[in-house]
Amino acid sequence: MIDFNLILPEIFISLTLMFLLIVGVFKKNSSSLIYNLTILSLLVLLALVLNLSHIEEAFIFNQSYKIDNLSNFMKILTLISAIFVMLTSSKYLKLIKIFKIEYPVLILSSILGMIVMISSNDLIVFYMGLELQSLALYVLASFNRDNLLSTESGLKYFVLSALSSGLLLYGCSLIYGFSGSTNFDEISLSISNVQYGLTFGIVFILVGLAFKISAVPFHMWAPDVYEGSPTSVTIFFAILPKIAALTVFIRFLYVPFINMIDQWQMIIIFLSIASMIFGAVAAIGQKNLKRLVAYSSIGHMGYVLAGLTTGTNEGIQSSIIYLSIYLVMNLALFSCIFMLRRNENYFENIDDLSGLSKNHPVLSFSMLIILFSLAGIPPLAGFFAKFYIFKAVIEQSMYFLAIVGLLSTVIAAFYYLRIIKIIYFDPEKEKYDTDHSIGLKLSLLLSTIFILIYFIYPNGINDLVSKINII
Amino acid sequence: MIVHAIFFYTFSLIAVVSAIMVTVSKNTVHSVFFLILDFISISCLFIMIGAEFLGMIMLIVYVGAVAVLFLFVVMMLNVVQQKNTSFESDSDGKHIPIGLLISLIIFFELIIVIGGWKYKPDLLNSISLNISSELTNTHSLGYVLYTDYIHLFQLSGIILLVAMVGAIVLTFRKRSGLKRQSYFKQISREKVEGVDLVTVDSKKGVNIDV
Repeated sequence: MIDFNLILPEIFISLTLMFLLIVGVFKKNSSSLIYNLTILSLLVLLALVLNLSHIEEAFIFNQSYKIDNLSNFMKILTLISAIFVMLTSSKYLKLIKIFKIEYPVLILSSILGMIVMISSNDLIVFYMGLELQSLALYVLASFNRDNLLSTESGLKYFVLSALSSGLLLYGCSLIYGFSGSTNFDEISLSISNVQYGLTFGIVFILVGLAFKISAVPFHMWAPDVYEGSPTSVTIFFAILPKIAALTVFIRFLYVPFINMIDQWQMIIIFLSIASMIFGAVAAIGQKNLKRLVAYSSIGHMGYVLAGLTTGTNEGIQSSIIYLSIYLVMNLALFSCIFMLRRNENYFENIDDLSGLSKNHPVLSFSMLIILFSLAGIPPLAGFFAKFYIFKAVIEQSMYFLAIVGLLSTVIAAFYYLRIIKIIYFDPEKEKYDTDHSIGLKLSLLLSTIFILIYFIYPNGINDLVSKINII
Repeated sequence: MIVHAIFFYTFSLIAVVSAIMVTVSKNTVHSVFFLILDFISISCLFIMIGAEFLGMIMLIVYVGAVAVLFLFVVMMLNVVQQKNTSFESDSDGKHIPIGLLISLIIFFELIIVIGGWKYKPDLLNSISLNISSELTNTHSLGYVLYTDYIHLFQLSGIILLVAMVGAIVLTFRKRSGLKRQSYFKQISREKVEGVDLVTVDSKKGVNIDV
């Protein structure tokens, strides 16, 4: 008998999204009602997931669906960031006139896909979650359909993502052919010696996953899509799919293929080094803030992958902590971008920040904190994130990786500091509007406070993460 | 057995050749027709290995719906005249050598992989599938679809729902000044307001403009 309590969150979210669609069809002008209901249902969902969080390990559906500490932590992370993303973007959606009933519904279905991905213990379940998640994201990227850039970004993401999905599926079929099962645990049992077929399958699946977290050399879509999509979707892109993809990375590499670490370790090291260097160098010449964030997220993904190369629990935990802190910093940065609004127009170029400190001292100060944290300057949260990664990497005596990481941190610090220079020392511009929604102010406040005081009590998150033991 | 081999190689050859022709042929409509041919020969291959359900679904879904949809799109967008020049022109063809090199490397690696598989026949035995030969494909699918794979089945339903919502969001536009039928109004019309009894005087007529 299946214990349906274990998948209560998934059932609830599917029913909610169908219910919201029906409400949207039969009630006229119900956009804000549905938007608020979505936030409410995300809160209920969070409660449901928290209710399951005491479970150490549980399987359902013939071992293909797994609930454990990793999945619980990642689900909670996903839902909290989703709530904040929704809180920040309601006013933006209204002002650029894409406040439609379908927007929250698509967000919800994408979150359902992510939750399925996070819990998957089977190649088929993982692929279905991935497709559900990305299908909603294609539509969201081109949601502002009258805008040429937005439609272009949606199409670009769709075509490239379909290609990467094809490669990923091919990898799945190879792994199934050579191991005889799609279940992660059974695959790990059936591997006796190194087989070329399995290595090949791993490579293909890693290509597909690296595309999803935009690691170099599969990053080409990221800057264009980040720039073209509506900002509310860009923040979604920058935060949520990375959580799900990282979870699958961890599960896929560390459950079935931990014994083949010699085969995949070099690939992850390459992805990590290339992403760190490219993210640092390519961001220097950018003029658009959203493009800059895209390159910086490529760089940050490099650090997250560096933690995964180690093959130890400490490495995984450092990656998860890095990702959590990265999410908070990105949320804060995007909240700042949302605040650059004058007469119902949003500004997203770096020049628009010029002299911000004269008119908006509080906003500039929080941007200062966020950018310092992104650059990794102590004692802010971003420093600790990098510190844990380097600690885990050096413990495995992978000095080359650590040196490259440190060097690219220095390069990346340049463009973060340049923005601070523009904010504080360049000639000032017109004042921006200050009548922001409470949700936006709240998310900026909470995330900035988190970045500031993380060093006082780092064990709050670290203890939670240290429960995640994969190997 | 020899007949089996002859059929297998015929269909595989058709499949490979038509797959190449899809990319090479200059006329887009021809490409779509080659795609259909490719799907048909692959479905024949499926039927040959005893997967008749998969083969038929392939025919119905891919040939019957997807390929015909492609054909419609190609004909409606009028891209027939556009020439497929990537193999000819010098300016745009610079990516061809690198692409060929990479695909050749992948091709040879695949040969190594499949060669390795062939020389180790014990690998196939490790695949533990208990397929009963008495059941038809459709039966055995039916046994697992709503039991072991119910979550995947429901999830694919949600994927289709999202695809539908997405298509509507991206294409549906509300037009102003459009006259629509209101069933509720039509049905709720009463006799009293719909019919008027008038006494008509002889040779005077009646004014019906209400």
